[in-house]
Amino acid sequence: MNRPDPSDFRTQVTKPEDFDSFWDSILKSSDSIPLNATMTLDPMRSSEDVEVYEVHYDSLDQVRIAGWYCLPRNRTEPLPARVFYPGYISEPTLPKSHAAQGYATFGAAPRGKLRSNAQINPGYPGLLTENINDPQSYVYKGFYVDAIRVIDFLFERPEVDSDRIGVQGSSQGGALTLVAAALRPKIKAASAGAPYLTGVMDAVQLTRTYPYEEINDYLRQHPQNLEDVCHTWNYYDCINLAERIDCPIIVYIGMQDDVCPPETAYPLMAQISSSDKQLYAYDGHGHDANHHENDAIVDAFFDRLLK
Amino acid sequence: MNKPQDFDQYWKKVEDELASIQPAAERTELHLRSAPEAKVYGLKLTSLDHYRIFAYFCVPSGKGPFPVIYRLPNYGSVVHIPPFEERCKYISVALCHRGQRLSDQPFAAKYPGLLTSGIDSQRNYIYRSIVADCLRVMDYLVSCDDVDSQKISLVGGDLALFTAALRDSASVLFYTPSLFYKALHKATATQNYPLEEFNDYLRSFPESIDQISQTLAYFEPMNFASRVKSEVMLMEESEGDANDLAVSFARDIERSGSKHSSYQDGVVLAEWLSKKLQTGETLVPMHWR
Repeated sequence: MNRPDPSDFRTQVTKPEDFDSFWDSILKSSDSIPLNATMTLDPMRSSEDVEVYEVHYDSLDQVRIAGWYCLPRNRTEPLPARVFYPGYISEPTLPKSHAAQGYATFGAAPRGKLRSNAQINPGYPGLLTENINDPQSYVYKGFYVDAIRVIDFLFERPEVDSDRIGVQGSSQGGALTLVAAALRPKIKAASAGAPYLTGVMDAVQLTRTYPYEEINDYLRQHPQNLEDVCHTWNYYDCINLAERIDCPIIVYIGMQDDVCPPETAYPLMAQISSSDKQLYAYDGHGHDANHHENDAIVDAFFDRLLK
Repeated sequence: MNKPQDFDQYWKKVEDELASIQPAAERTELHLRSAPEAKVYGLKLTSLDHYRIFAYFCVPSGKGPFPVIYRLPNYGSVVHIPPFEERCKYISVALCHRGQRLSDQPFAAKYPGLLTSGIDSQRNYIYRSIVADCLRVMDYLVSCDDVDSQKISLVGGDLALFTAALRDSASVLFYTPSLFYKALHKATATQNYPLEEFNDYLRSFPESIDQISQTLAYFEPMNFASRVKSEVMLMEESEGDANDLAVSFARDIERSGSKHSSYQDGVVLAEWLSKKLQTGETLVPMHWR
């Protein structure tokens, strides 16, 4: 049987009436917390042309978050910056090669990732369903805030031109890209591959692949909590955050993606407010979303808008 | 890459050390992860240095014995539970080697960092023990009543090749060269991790180049290939990318160039395993059909 055209898919995600006040309140809490950022040069990871720093900063719930920050050694003017968000199970990137091309680069490590897991460490599988019954205590509240505070860190850096900051990532990195672009409107450009956390409660019905399968596991054990889980996810779903995205953005997907089903990308694109938005839908590709070829498009996109 | 004269003795010593340690297997069902189609167990075994390691061990519903897909881990702290479609049909196993999550007590690997941990000595290099972890699971598999011991497949990177070379029990190997194939040569052409770890190390300790080359010779895939007796599919980065590795095998092998698509490469894997293990219809995710 042929699969229905993914572009015809209709999402079941709905926007809670208090969605904006929910996020405004979280942002207010986040803004009240000083970053207390520290930067420590890592001589072993630094090279002839790039300095590598291990960064730590404070985030929601007094959690200390880590990240890698790379700077070209040869710099005289304020730099454009690119933030790299990690996938669900992948290690935070140490983006030296892009720093060598003249960017300040940051590899983010939100809570639960190695080096950011001393206080909160739900594990994998585990993160996706940690406190999923309650939007206020759900682990992704802090996780999203950890991601956007990378931008706050860059705003504080004198070597960075705060008008030229781009965000990017694939899978969960794609989701955090959308989150950051939505909640930090000063971001200049965004690139999201195979975006995760988009149409979440649709996706759990479209795939049996982890990480979404964590929610199916949870609901098999706790079927009575379905309504609560849907309620929570309506506050965190990137489809509902997309209305706030106003910067130039590219999204790329694989039409045979069994991890983050391509169906969920179409309602996302419809909700993004930016008039400068482009979807690259690659037939013959899965969760890789054809990054092998698309990476050049992403680099050209950022070079055009940030350099 | 020269093969060290004591290559076989080096690995024989690892195997002997491992054989002297009781595996003390414990298999506990993880009810949260089990589904009607398959049960998921946490398997714990004792490996080299009496280190306790963890693996996901999944058993389909129904009557065994079952064919096996044993997935060797990639480079990174997290190992996924095997794919749903594999769990439905195969005993599917995913090892978390020492240092990876769930096998990270007392040693939690650093990323970056693991790849050069102890590299200044072939005796202390972390991958010597990691290879032993891989073998420990293989030995457990052949001891299980619910395993069809004639239909054990290994899937993964260099750790899968090493396991196939050091154990005869796998009938098929689906191998994608990863970290150790011409490692230092390939590192010179990149700033990307994990291979950049070698560059970082050599920038800090340039005097250690000879010792590092010597250590890595014990882990060079070309030095293992001739010992592999199972049927092999070599998945190359691009067609012809691993010619010298391909000719290192003692037997004829099949080869496929990656399409750089998790979907297309995944279908090649699923269909090849179905054919070689004679398991009938190939099960793949809905989006791949």
